[in-house]
Amino acid sequence: MNRNIPSISKLNNLFLDKELKPSELFEQVYENASFTESILHAHLELFHDEGLENSKKSDERFLKGESLGKLDGIPIAIKDNINVYGYKTTCSSKMLSNYVSPYDATVIGMLKETGSTFTGKTNLDEFAMGSSTENSAYGPTKNPWNPDYVPGGSSGGSAAVVSAGSAVASLGSDTGGSIRQPASFCGVVGFKPTYGTVSRFGLIAFASSLDQIGPITNTVDDARIIFDNIQGYDPKDATSIKPQYTEPKNKKLKIGIIKELMQEGVSEDSQNEVNKVTQLLENSGHEVLETSLPLTEMALSVYYLIAPAECSANLSRFDGVRFGLREPASGSYEMMNKTRAVGFGEEVKKRILLGTYALSAGYFDEYYGRALKVRSKIISDFQKAFDDFDFLISPTTPSPAFKFGEKTENPLEMYLSDLCTIPANLAGLPAISIPTGLSDNNMPLSIQLMGKPCSDYSLLDLAESIEDMVSFNHLPKITKGDNES
Amino acid sequence: MTKDFNIDDISNLASIHLEEKEKLKLQKDLEIVLEHVDALKNIDVKDEKIDIHPLSKILDLREDESTPSLSHEDAMKNSPETKDGHFVVPPSIE
Repeated sequence: MNRNIPSISKLNNLFLDKELKPSELFEQVYENASFTESILHAHLELFHDEGLENSKKSDERFLKGESLGKLDGIPIAIKDNINVYGYKTTCSSKMLSNYVSPYDATVIGMLKETGSTFTGKTNLDEFAMGSSTENSAYGPTKNPWNPDYVPGGSSGGSAAVVSAGSAVASLGSDTGGSIRQPASFCGVVGFKPTYGTVSRFGLIAFASSLDQIGPITNTVDDARIIFDNIQGYDPKDATSIKPQYTEPKNKKLKIGIIKELMQEGVSEDSQNEVNKVTQLLENSGHEVLETSLPLTEMALSVYYLIAPAECSANLSRFDGVRFGLREPASGSYEMMNKTRAVGFGEEVKKRILLGTYALSAGYFDEYYGRALKVRSKIISDFQKAFDDFDFLISPTTPSPAFKFGEKTENPLEMYLSDLCTIPANLAGLPAISIPTGLSDNNMPLSIQLMGKPCSDYSLLDLAESIEDMVSFNHLPKITKGDNES
Repeated sequence: MTKDFNIDDISNLASIHLEEKEKLKLQKDLEIVLEHVDALKNIDVKDEKIDIHPLSKILDLREDESTPSLSHEDAMKNSPETKDGHFVVPPSIE
């Protein structure tokens, strides 16, 4: 296999110069997928025939000089909670094991217009609920850097395929860090755009006020190209916005280090990466100062009331009537109870129950209502911080990737792995994780940047300049073990 | 805050049948989470308003116009059981 995949811009140049055909690239990433899937289990389904057919159409376009743009002929993997017409969307759940999408998500329709091809659907924590991909009903995905370690989640499959070179890029969804955290664990770039800039139509809803589709890529420029092609107002998504993107006033930027994400509970490894990048930013003439957002410490509690509350409402549609699993029973109510008991895994049940409780009569104000009010205060805190700073920096994760089973006993242990990523979802901010180094045990480390709403492009510019300064050019070595065929 | 948490009542509300062994594990896990979120009660939210959209956007409504949508057949295609263009469910009234 050849893991060394050039950037999208370079691939486009190779296509334009007739040095490489899109169908040859597709076969290359498919070969990589064929080699790595038995080890990683990152794709749930591969679209070989249609992907190859579409890439041959790209061949023709480049031959005739009629290319559709930079994404023409680029193989992209899709998280299996995003609908692609005619293919299964399982959400890694037994509940939807036979669900075939009758329509394209808006982002899929937009990508089809660009001429990109799809490698297949990628594994996730069931209904995007988890931080390790251990909650998939179809088995976990493994980390390409070391299969004893989790790839992160919930978009663990989407991060692993990019890291392993079995797709050039992928789409993930991020509700509390589900793009950035797995990107961090797998040593790739993960970008969560401003809430509302990318349509959620066709993304199976988990927590609607937090969910956001975004790219996972090898480079920041790749993320920019994909974002550029999937962003924009969509009348089919009521929360969609007509973004007016902003630029910082000065070239010399003022960047704030979030104090509360650089203290106890965040590993020395993770803190060191932020300090390393801070030094590089200062050397380039930017001003970097510590800033305090005290309510950041409440973000996890707010999230674990709002997200389950919204999930309990969104997942009420899975009742065995219109789509998905149905368990046999003599009456309707018994059928729903049994279907949901068999169809949902433990983590999904846990969050539905938590959300049902938080929304139930007598507890609404105490839990969900209070959480929404604290969320408003967190948003105000960020607005104030962005009066003083152009961007904020923190670790993406409190620690590098952990081993399978390490955090499955106590739910809080697992939830804490999203400590640094959740605040951006609560405040709707654009945020990006970029790889910056390796730990002593050779696992990727990263930093996270956050910007004010609609600063997406300037955030990507800053991330790209850090990417240049850091020069993270490590690749995982994926080898088949004794048990692999 | 967690003293009234009753797993049977909540699973009934959520329409999820739980086995006894499952109940014990879920009750324990949920109590851990509820104890953690208890910290929110120390935050003063007296004058705080609620925003559903994180960017305080006033949600637009589409024009009230008919546009192409899924066909009836496509919309029914994933149902476990249909008859004459309708969803079939087990009896609701005994």
